Amino acid sequence: MPYDVTFERLETQALHDLKGPREALAAWAGDALPPFPDQPNTKTEAGGATLMFIGPDHWLLRADLTREGTLDAALRPAEAPPEISLVRVSDTLAWFRITGPDAAEVMAVACPMDLHTSRFGPDGAGFTEAFGLKALVTRCADGFDLAVEQSFGPMVADYLTRVIS
Amino acid sequence: MMQIPCPFCGPRNESEFSFGGPVKPPRPDPSAVSDEDWTAWLTQVPNPLGPVQEQWWHVRGCGTWLTIWRDTRTHDIVEAPDGGR
Ligand SMILES: [Zn+2]
Repeated sequence: MPYDVTFERLETQALHDLKGPREALAAWAGDALPPFPDQPNTKTEAGGATLMFIGPDHWLLRADLTREGTLDAALRPAEAPPEISLVRVSDTLAWFRITGPDAAEVMAVACPMDLHTSRFGPDGAGFTEAFGLKALVTRCADGFDLAVEQSFGPMVADYLTRVIS
Repeated sequence: MMQIPCPFCGPRNESEFSFGGPVKPPRPDPSAVSDEDWTAWLTQVPNPLGPVQEQWWHVRGCGTWLTIWRDTRTHDIVEAPDGGR
């Protein structure tokens, strides 16, 4: 059964992996970050950047690749105090955008997590599985963004092509 | 397939987790127990018929290590027996 969706592979996204106590991260880099999300596996957005709460004392900052240098300069990873860690990881994930009326149906094929809006709201963002791989899933306008380890990008592109055809 | 309750993420599919083995009793002082008891602690894996305490790693999720009690007869995740943790 063909699904009414389209998918595209997004360009590399600027990503920074942030670890440590929230207060220490906010004190060091708060001005460069959107407000910290309060609920696990949710995100906040401000100034073109998205901050995702992906684990205990663990956040992922996402922005367009053009902003990577600006964020690097603002986060000053090499000078950070020892209780926090800020690491640029832009090259680690391959991103896909799945949109259209049946986007949730395709995600249900890929992913065991309950992605109904009652459980995974508009601000949902977190790691789960997609096609058996560790994957970051978040909502976008009219669908979902899905990110997997970079080297699995061509394989996931192939899986998505098979699912929707 | 089990739904495993992650303290950070809530209930998630078993396939997102990696099994970390049963929780062993605390490590005894080898010089304070018999050779038999020490060997037993080193080599015997808890494998009861009933509730067993297990460690799981949410490796394809938030990365948390967690501990659950699972009943080996029903595969259900259960409360800790005798009000234990
Ligand atoms: Zn988790």
